[in-house]
Amino acid sequence: MRSLGPPPGRIPLEAIVVIGAVVVAFVGFCLVDIVRAKQVRYLPKAVWALITCLSMPWGGIVYLAMGRVWGAPAAPLDAQVKVVRLGADADAEAGVGVSGFAGTAGPAGPAGPAAGLAGTVGPAGPGAPAGTAAPAGAAGPGGLSLSGRVGPVALEVDGLTKRFGRVTAVDDLSFVVQPGRVTGFLGPNGAGKTTTMRVILGLDAPTAGTALVGGRHYARIARPLREVGSLLDANAVHGGRTAWFHLLAIARSNGLRKRRVSEVLELTGLDAVAGQRVKGFSLGMKQRLGIAVALLADPPVLVLDEPANGLDPEGMRWIRLLLRAMAAQGRTVLVSSHLMGEMAMIADHLIIIGRGRLLADLPTGEFIDSYARQDVLVRSPRASELAGLLVASGGSVSPQEDGGLAVTGLTAPAIGDLAAGQGIAVHELAPRHGSLEAAYLDLTGASTEFRAVSPAAGESKVAAR
Amino acid sequence: MSAQDARDAPEIASDLPAPRPKEPVPPEPLANVPLLARAGDALAFEWTKLRSVRSNHLTLLFAAVATLGSTAIVAQAATAGPAPRPGGPISGLAGSFLGYAEYGILPLSVLGVLVFTSEYATGLIRTTFVAVPARRLVLAAKAAVAGAAALIIGEGLAFACFLLAQGILAGRPGGGLSLGGSGVLRAVLAAGLFMPACVLVGVGFGAVVKSTAGAIAATVGVIYLLAALCLALPHPWNTRLGRFTLPFAAYQLVTTHPSPSLLPAGWSLLALVAWPAVILAAGGLLLTRSDL
Repeated sequence: MRSLGPPPGRIPLEAIVVIGAVVVAFVGFCLVDIVRAKQVRYLPKAVWALITCLSMPWGGIVYLAMGRVWGAPAAPLDAQVKVVRLGADADAEAGVGVSGFAGTAGPAGPAGPAAGLAGTVGPAGPGAPAGTAAPAGAAGPGGLSLSGRVGPVALEVDGLTKRFGRVTAVDDLSFVVQPGRVTGFLGPNGAGKTTTMRVILGLDAPTAGTALVGGRHYARIARPLREVGSLLDANAVHGGRTAWFHLLAIARSNGLRKRRVSEVLELTGLDAVAGQRVKGFSLGMKQRLGIAVALLADPPVLVLDEPANGLDPEGMRWIRLLLRAMAAQGRTVLVSSHLMGEMAMIADHLIIIGRGRLLADLPTGEFIDSYARQDVLVRSPRASELAGLLVASGGSVSPQEDGGLAVTGLTAPAIGDLAAGQGIAVHELAPRHGSLEAAYLDLTGASTEFRAVSPAAGESKVAAR
Repeated sequence: MSAQDARDAPEIASDLPAPRPKEPVPPEPLANVPLLARAGDALAFEWTKLRSVRSNHLTLLFAAVATLGSTAIVAQAATAGPAPRPGGPISGLAGSFLGYAEYGILPLSVLGVLVFTSEYATGLIRTTFVAVPARRLVLAAKAAVAGAAALIIGEGLAFACFLLAQGILAGRPGGGLSLGGSGVLRAVLAAGLFMPACVLVGVGFGAVVKSTAGAIAATVGVIYLLAALCLALPHPWNTRLGRFTLPFAAYQLVTTHPSPSLLPAGWSLLALVAWPAVILAAGGLLLTRSDL
């Protein structure tokens, strides 16, 4: 048997030529790399393939050695870490009352460590009655329980900017997603929602700013699915794999038990099709599969990009109830959508962005009150007389083009009574609810600035008349 | 109205599937999972993905059938022709692996390419990196799983091809070699090693190029075309450069009569390892720097 050949005594000429050429090429390339700092991906891929071919094997070794020295700089993470474990201060900030605290702590008590957690987080939203969270909280020790050792985790985006070449997808965006409520992430298509979520999940590197989960960068979390469950794209599955194997593989990646796979399949109603290949799934089924992935490790934080996309009304209702129950258990839930109506049903709190900038960050109820116009349409043969009467009684009247009067500040019965008191005949008296969609479109419209005052401005003009 | 409806939370809990008692996910310090445990997770992740796609099994089956079939045909043809000259371009031993080098290596290298590119094509790569954010760990796990599978398959096919070809050639001069012969066992083992080298080149190019078509082109280029290109060069540059390519390096390892104009066995083995290593390293560098 021949032993491994001894190295040639003399370095062959062609080896010197190849090494020389490759070293020159790589030194040049490294210099470019350093000068342009992390812009490597803009070099055409073909050039890369060529360099890689030519570089074999010495150039690669040289480059590796250089990479050791000049390797991608690790962000000084520890310096940026902020501890966001929510205590009483944060609760006060979120407007959660003491009654809510008491209401939740009771049922969650048997869960041991989770009791403190549920207690501090409180009910789903500032607008919710104190008792709201109690029944959902009672579900805590069951199939959806939050593992007790993980405290409530906030999601914090601070000064986030992301540019792709010249396009600024996200522009100095800052917000905090609090636990214990469903936060809707709204914006028109292309507003930067998905990009923000990708940065949060460590897929895209931010140009500036930070996105922290519980005070840490996502990419620095070992077994991150146990901290953050996410759904980015329901179609991002291999069609040739069955739902069960898809989930099993992901469960394995974070050291989870096989049993969890069956549990989330049951939870999402996919247990009957678990053995089927994903290829044949409808979009709605894929959405459920994506949500199953998000729930796999029972995480305290959920980040879902358009989860209701493709779901039928039954599925919509299911996800609405699911997310609200998740929030009521003290989890942090961030759900994106470009549809206002959908969000109004699901979210307690809204973060609205447009062109990558923050437009609004407020409770859903407040948004509805502030932006959705509610008025009463009145028609009368003595319209001008009635208008004077209504203004005198404290209402605001806006004459419509067709002769009707749009009245705000007075209820329909009050208007009817006033008219009857003066003997003015009323031909139509209809309370009208403004469309949330219209308010949303108004907010996110072409302007990038926060146009909070526009709907109100129209009314005040009329009122002043 | 709808917004208010949505708020009546009390019915929420009752609408969800009945809670079942379960063991909570074992709590652990999230930041302090040792690298070894995370590597184990990543390996299990990639292995589960690899074995759960039916087309992978079918490709493997096809590759095995085509390899053994072509090996039998080549050996049968050799029994009719003149006996291979010891030290000639293709000796009897290296001739056993002709079918293997074409019909075994190519389909499995394509599978290696698909390890990455199929995930890029479907978007599954984001799920993968969300589950395991350490991208180099993912690359290492993919390479380890694909490489280990390729090693086992490669060795199995190499031994099968050798036994089949030599069985057919038995009794002919230069044929009927046995595993006990001088350097024969080493040559068969080295032939098996050619498989993981090529598959890992595929995995590496998948990570570098990201698109299936481009990565397959690059892989086939490096495994087959580069050697053919070198052969077209004027003497002595054909062997001077050609000897660094994968097929020539592999040839030097599987023949009992190495060519003096090519690299010695030790350097050939190094070339066999260096190609995938360099391409995988390039893939690792690019992966950590790109957005998804």
